[in-house]
Amino acid sequence: MKMTRRTLLAYSAITPLALMSIRVGGARAEGMVLHRGNGAAPQTLDPHLNFGARDAYIQDDLYDGLVGYGQDGQIVGSAAGSWDISDDGRVYTFHLRENLKWTDGTPIVAQDFVNGLIRTLDPATASDKAYYFSSTIQVTNAGAFTNGEITDPALVGFAAPDDRTVVMTLDNPAPHAIWILTSFQSSPLHKPSFEQYGTEFVQAGKLVGNGPYTLTELVPQSHLVLKKNPHYWDAANVKIDEVWYHVTEDMSAATKRYLAGELDVTVDAIPDEVEKLIAAGSIAADEYHVAPNIDGYYYSFNITKKPFDDVRVRQALSMTIDREVLQEKILKSGYPPAYSMVPPGVDPAYPGAAVKEKGMSHDDRVAAAQKLMAEAGYGPDSPLKAVLLATNDNDEKKKATAVAIMWKKALGVEIDLQFQEYQAWLDGFYAGTWDIFGDTIVADFAGAESYLSYMKPSAEAGYNWKNDKYEELMNQAAATPDVTARNTLLAEAEQILLDDYLIAPISGGATRQLVKPYVKGWIDNVIQFHASRFLWVEKA
Amino acid sequence: MLRYVIRRCIGVIPTMFVLMTITFFMMRLSPGGPFSTNRKASAEIIANLNRHFHLDEPLWQQYLRYLWGVLQFDFGPSYKMRDYSVADLLIQGFPTSLKLGLAAILISTLVGVTLGTLAALRRNSWIDYGASTVGLVGIAVPNFVLGPLWQLLFGVMWGLLPVAGWGQSWTQMILPVVSLALPNIAYIVRLTRGSMIESIRSNHVRTARAKGLGERLAIWRHALIGGLLPVVAYLGPATAGIITGSIVVEKIFSVPGIGRYFVEAALNRDYTVVMGVTLLYGFLIILCNLFSDIVYGVLDPKVRYE
Repeated sequence: MKMTRRTLLAYSAITPLALMSIRVGGARAEGMVLHRGNGAAPQTLDPHLNFGARDAYIQDDLYDGLVGYGQDGQIVGSAAGSWDISDDGRVYTFHLRENLKWTDGTPIVAQDFVNGLIRTLDPATASDKAYYFSSTIQVTNAGAFTNGEITDPALVGFAAPDDRTVVMTLDNPAPHAIWILTSFQSSPLHKPSFEQYGTEFVQAGKLVGNGPYTLTELVPQSHLVLKKNPHYWDAANVKIDEVWYHVTEDMSAATKRYLAGELDVTVDAIPDEVEKLIAAGSIAADEYHVAPNIDGYYYSFNITKKPFDDVRVRQALSMTIDREVLQEKILKSGYPPAYSMVPPGVDPAYPGAAVKEKGMSHDDRVAAAQKLMAEAGYGPDSPLKAVLLATNDNDEKKKATAVAIMWKKALGVEIDLQFQEYQAWLDGFYAGTWDIFGDTIVADFAGAESYLSYMKPSAEAGYNWKNDKYEELMNQAAATPDVTARNTLLAEAEQILLDDYLIAPISGGATRQLVKPYVKGWIDNVIQFHASRFLWVEKA
Repeated sequence: MLRYVIRRCIGVIPTMFVLMTITFFMMRLSPGGPFSTNRKASAEIIANLNRHFHLDEPLWQQYLRYLWGVLQFDFGPSYKMRDYSVADLLIQGFPTSLKLGLAAILISTLVGVTLGTLAALRRNSWIDYGASTVGLVGIAVPNFVLGPLWQLLFGVMWGLLPVAGWGQSWTQMILPVVSLALPNIAYIVRLTRGSMIESIRSNHVRTARAKGLGERLAIWRHALIGGLLPVVAYLGPATAGIITGSIVVEKIFSVPGIGRYFVEAALNRDYTVVMGVTLLYGFLIILCNLFSDIVYGVLDPKVRYE
C-alpha cells in the first residue's frame, strides 16, 4: 500500500492546501488608486441608454454632463460653467467652458450635447430615459419626437446656436429642470466613434468620453479600470489616478473584501452584519455611512375593491403601522420612517404634508383606528381579510410580515401575504390582484414633484385614483416658475393625496455604505453620488 | 464504435431543436417582460423598445426569426446588457467558467477517487471515517455556507488568499475552485467507495488474486477499472454542469463566468440570454454524456456499441 500512500501525498501537493502559503499577488498600479465595489455588473455603459443608478456612478466618471452633482450632491456646473434661465422659466441657456476636449483630445462643441440629448429621444435608440424630457420636464416636442410623430430633430427644444451655447426650451416652467441635466441625462455624443462602431462605441478601447476618467479595461462581470483623463477641464483638481469598479453582487462577500482591504468603498452593506462588525471592533462606527436617499416605500390600497373603497378602512390600516418600530427595531434599515409620500429630508425647501396620525401617540392611533374600523363594519367578530402583494426580496418580506402582525394585533385584520418575484409582482400591480400593494418609487430628482407627479391620476392609471382637485393643483404647480409658490401648491396636493389615504406611507430609503477612513472628500448626500473626481486617498 | 458516435452526433440536432422550441415558448408563459421594470416609462417608450427588439411581432414570427438566427450562429442581442450580444456574453464568460470548472473537476476526480479507493480498501479505519466525513460535509453543507466561510478564514482572518475577484492573480482561483470541487469530491468519494467495495469482492478480482497477482496490481489493474464505472457515468453530466458555472460561486467570489445568467436572465426575462445559456448547457450535456459513454465502453468489456 505504500504506493497508494505516496500517491495520496502527491495529490495533496496539488490540492489547494499546499498553495495556501502563497501570498496574495496582483499588480498594483503606481499613483493614487481607489477600489470601489459597485454591486451587480453594469448593464450598459451607453450614456444615452443606461438607466441604473450604479451604472450612472461609472458614467459620472466617464462623461461630463452640462451640469453635475457636486461633492455634496448639489448641482454644480460641469461642462457648462454657467447658465441663464429666462424669466418665464422656460428657456435655459448653457454656456460651455472654454477648450473642452474629448478624451482623444479633439474639441467638444455644443452640438455634441444636443446630439446626445437627441439620441436619447430618438425612437431608434429605444432608451428608457426619453421620458425625462417628455414627462419629468416637458422639452418642446420631445414627446412627439420619441413617439415618432415628428422626425426632424431640429423641431425639438434643444439647440446649439454656436459652439459654446446649448439652449433648452420647455413647454412649461420647471425649476427642477437643472436636476435633469447631469451626466446621467445629458452626456454628449462623440459622433465619429458612434458612426464607426455603432452601439459598440462604449466598449473599452473604443469609448471616447469627456469625463474626468477614461475607460482602460473592462472585464464583464468582473471589473472596470478607469484612468485619469488629462484632457478634462478640471484635471488639475482630480487627485485619484486610477479607479477600479469591482462587480460585487454578493453584499456579504463585498463586506469581506472591504475588511481584507480589497475594496475601499462598498456600494451597499447589510445593517445586521455591520452592526456585529462594529461591536467586534473590526470596523469603526464612522466607516459605516448611512445616508437618507430619494427612494420611497409605501403600501398602496386597491380602491376599486371593497372595502378599500372606504377611506376609513384605509386610514385605520395606515394608522396602525408603527413606522418607528418597523424601521428601528425590526428592519434596522437606517431608512427614515415616513408620514408622507415625499420622504423626509429629500428637499429642505419643500414645506411638506403629513398623514393625520403624525403627532398622535401610538395608543391614540390604535384607538382611533379601531373606531374607524368598527364604523366601517369590521371588528373582532367580523375581521377584515386582505391580500398583500410584495416582492420576494428579504427586506420586503420581513416588512410585510411585521406590518401584517401589527394589523392583526391592533385590528384583528387577517392578511394573506403573497410574495412574488419582481416581474410577476409588477404584472400583478396592473392586474389588480391585490388589496394592498408593497409599493416603491425611485425619484428622478430630489424634489417633491418627482413623487407627486407620478401619482397624478393621468400619469399612473394603475391606482384607479380620480381626484380633480389634485390634478388641478399639480397642473397649477407645473405652470408656476417660482419655486416657493410651486412648492406650496405641491404640498397642498400632497395633503389631498394623504388625506385620501390612497397610500400608507412607510419610509424613505437610505444608502448604506462602508468607506475606509483614508478615503477623503466623501460627503454623504441624498442623491447618493460620490464622483471619484472629488475623492482622494490619504494613507498614513 | 465510430458508427455509434456518428449516430449519436446526428441525434444532437433533433434534441437541440426540441430543447430550443420548448424553452422558447415556456419562457414566454412567465409573467412580465424584459422592459416592464420601469413603471415611469411611457407606453410609447416601451413600444419603441419592443419594436427595437422585434417583441411586437407575433410569437410564431419571433420564433422563426430566432430559429433563422441560430442556424447562422446569431443568438441575438441581450435585452438587458445592451452593450452585448448573447454571443459576446457567452464568448467572454465561458472560458472563465470552463477554466474554473475543469480545474474543479480535475481536483474532485483526483481527490475523490483517491479518498474513495482508500476508504474502500481500509474499511472502518480512520481513512474511511475521514473520507466519509468529507463526503458528508461536502454534500450536506451548501456552497453559500462554505464559500463565505473560506473567505472569512483565508481572506479576512489569515490574509492568505484574496477574498474575491478575478484576473489580477492566479491565487484568486483557489477558493472558488475549492468551493466548486468540494461537493463533487463528496459524491465521487461515496461513489468510488461503494463500487470499489463491490469490485474488490467481484469474481474477476478474486481470480486475479488467485492467479498470484500482487495486491497492488489486482487493485490498480482490475478492481479500480470496475470501481470507476459509476464515477465515469457521474462525471459526464457533472462536467457539463460544472463548466457552465455556478451562480453561487460566481456571485460570492466575483467570478465573471456564465453561471449567473442561468438565474439572472430568467429573472430579468432576458429571453435571448436564457435561450443562449440553455442551448449551450444542453449541447454540453449531450457532448459530455457521449464522451462518458465512450469511456464507459472502453472500460467496461460488457458494453459494446454496435
